[in-house]
Amino acid sequence: MKRLFIASLLSVVAVLVGCATPPETSSSAARQQLNVDPDVSYSMTVAELFEERVAQAGGGSLLHIQFAVAAHSDAELAWKVTWFDANGMTVKGVGEAYRRATLLTGQTRYFKAVAPHSRVTDYQLHLREPN
Amino acid sequence: MMKRALVFSLGLALLAGCAAPTRYIDPAADDGPVAMTMDYRDFEKAATDAVEDMLGSGAVHNPNGGRYIMVVSRITNDTMQRIDTDQLTKKIRVALLRSGKVVTTTAVGLNGPEDEMNMAARELRNSAEFDQSGVQKKGTLQAPDLSLSGKILQRNHKVGREQQVEYYIQLSLTDLASGLAFWEGETPIIKRGSNKSVSW
Repeated sequence: MKRLFIASLLSVVAVLVGCATPPETSSSAARQQLNVDPDVSYSMTVAELFEERVAQAGGGSLLHIQFAVAAHSDAELAWKVTWFDANGMTVKGVGEAYRRATLLTGQTRYFKAVAPHSRVTDYQLHLREPN
Repeated sequence: MMKRALVFSLGLALLAGCAAPTRYIDPAADDGPVAMTMDYRDFEKAATDAVEDMLGSGAVHNPNGGRYIMVVSRITNDTMQRIDTDQLTKKIRVALLRSGKVVTTTAVGLNGPEDEMNMAARELRNSAEFDQSGVQKKGTLQAPDLSLSGKILQRNHKVGREQQVEYYIQLSLTDLASGLAFWEGETPIIKRGSNKSVSW
């Protein structure tokens, strides 16, 4: 009876220890730089996505990105860039809202964004169709 | 009499049920209807455009290293709305401060210092009631290098059965040493909607 009690106590402790294991965190490599909602693909194509670091007068450099969208039909687009530092932490920009744009059939539009700080090393561009 | 009161109460209850419930709006995911007046999304767009252009153009990068000191000058509201222009300038100031390129002084302003405590704290000088080692010394306040000024314009037009309201947010960043505008920008915000909606 005593053995049974000890065995069950050990199994409960084992289960609790299992629960306490910290969750695995994914690395920044798992994050896609271009995140396009499927609905957007019906009316437009992301034709280009460029990035470059531009040197600043006082030293350091700032990340600039530019992307081009070619429309197959008249469409509305909402886009937003999230910026990350070398550790994968987000770096705040001016606001968090999506920027809206209208595209006409056959039109290719170019959009630019500038990182809010020189410590930004990566980004994620999200394109979606506004409601 | 009782019947009338019952009908009235029932009507009120129905109306209350039809009213849209009060809810929080997340500015990061707001696809809500657009107003003909300027709303927070318009200020955010104008501030984002201005800050990205200032940073991208290199206008706020001090060639000697370190941060520029900026003062907010007059932002004229030439619209039919009562706008507190701080809604725009605060976003720009916060973003420039976070960028590590510009810091804003609150010790100077066209209508006196933005934070009057800058001078009030100095009035403690020579007061026997205060430990003088903690009182601000003479000549410690920093003069601004850059001045942010601008104007918000509004123009209304009738377009067929609709009305078109145009807002132009114009900003200049002046180098106070030379008086030259190092950076200038304009963000147009154009809205078209029902003639019945008001834009003031």
